[in-house]
Amino acid sequence: MCFVRNGEDLIAPFSLAIDAGDAGVLVQPTRFAASLAARLCGAIVRPTSGRIFVGDYETRLQPPQAKRRIGFVDVAGFDGDAHAFACEIAFHAQCWGIARRLARERATRVLGALSREDAYARAIALALVADVDLIVLDQPPDDLAVRVREIATDAALLVSRVA
Amino acid sequence: MIERRATIAIVRRHIDRRFGVDWLMTFALVAALAAIFAPSFGYSAIFILAALASVMPIENQHIASLRRLTFFSVPLFGRQLARAHAVAPTLAALALPCGYAAGAAMRGVPISPERFITAICVVTIATLVALSGTFRDGRDRALYVGLALATSISLAILDLVAGPMSPRIVGALALLVGYFALRAFGETLARYDPLP
Repeated sequence: MCFVRNGEDLIAPFSLAIDAGDAGVLVQPTRFAASLAARLCGAIVRPTSGRIFVGDYETRLQPPQAKRRIGFVDVAGFDGDAHAFACEIAFHAQCWGIARRLARERATRVLGALSREDAYARAIALALVADVDLIVLDQPPDDLAVRVREIATDAALLVSRVA
Repeated sequence: MIERRATIAIVRRHIDRRFGVDWLMTFALVAALAAIFAPSFGYSAIFILAALASVMPIENQHIASLRRLTFFSVPLFGRQLARAHAVAPTLAALALPCGYAAGAAMRGVPISPERFITAICVVTIATLVALSGTFRDGRDRALYVGLALATSISLAILDLVAGPMSPRIVGALALLVGYFALRAFGETLARYDPLP
C-alpha cells in the first residue's frame, strides 16, 4: 500500500504481513510519516492504493468488522483526567460491546502491568479494553512496546518509529 | 447489534451535561430576543433561525469534537457514524424554534403550529446540510454553509407561497432533503482522512 497527497508520496509503497503473536516495526523518515503509517495500518486513514486485511476483513470494504479487531494507540496518548478516562473506558466498552465492569477491570489490569499511568499508557489501556487481533502503536516509548508484547501475546503488534 | 450500541455510545458522548447547558442557554437567549422583538420580526424570524442553524454546526469547538480521532477507530461505517454525529447538532438546533415559540408566546404573539413545524423543518435541514462542512476547511466549508442557508431559506419561502397545503409540502420536502443531506454527510465521513 501507499499514501499519496498532491502528487507526493507521503508513504512510499510497501507490503507487510504480520501473523498473530508476531511484531513488526514500520520505520519512517519523519514523525508525520510515522503517524500516518500507523493510522493507515490502524484503518483510521485509507491508503491511496493497496489493501489492508485484519484477519479476513478488508478495512475499506468491511470497516466495522476490521476496526473491531484493531487496537490503535495514537502518539498523543490519552491526556484527559481520571473522570474523562473513566468516561472513555465506558465509551469503548459500549462501542465494542463489552460489559462496563469488565472493561474497567481490563484497563486497570493493563495499567498495572505497564506500571505507569501517563497519557500513552492510558491510551494503551483503552486500546486493550477489547479483545483485538492487531495492536498498532504510534511511536511508543521504548519500554512500553516491550510491555505490550508481554501483555497481549496472542495479538499481532505493529509499531511505527522515526528513523 | 454492536453497531447500534456504538451509535448510541457516540450520541451519548455528544449529549452530555455541557450540551444540556448550551441548549438551555440558546433557548433562553432566543426566547428573550423573541419576547422583545417578535412583533417586529414577523415571518422574517424563520429566515433568521435558518441563518443561525446554518452556522451553529461549524462552531470551532463542535468541529474539534467531531474530528476527535477516537470516533474514527469506532467500528462503524461512515454512514452510521454520520447518523450518530447528526443527532446532537439537530437537537441543539431545535433550541432555536422552541426558544422563539416560547418568547413569542410570552410576548402575546404566539406562532401557529404550522409555522412552528416549518421552523423545525427549516432549522433541521440547515443543520444537516451544514454538517458536511464540518469536515471541510476554508472555501469548501463556507460553500456548505451557503448551501445550508440557501436550502433552508428556499424551504421557508416555499412555505410562504404554498398556501394551505404548505406544512405537508414543506414536511415532505424536508424529509427528502434531510435524507440526502445525511447521506452526503456519510459520504463526507467515509472519504475523510484524519491526517496527523
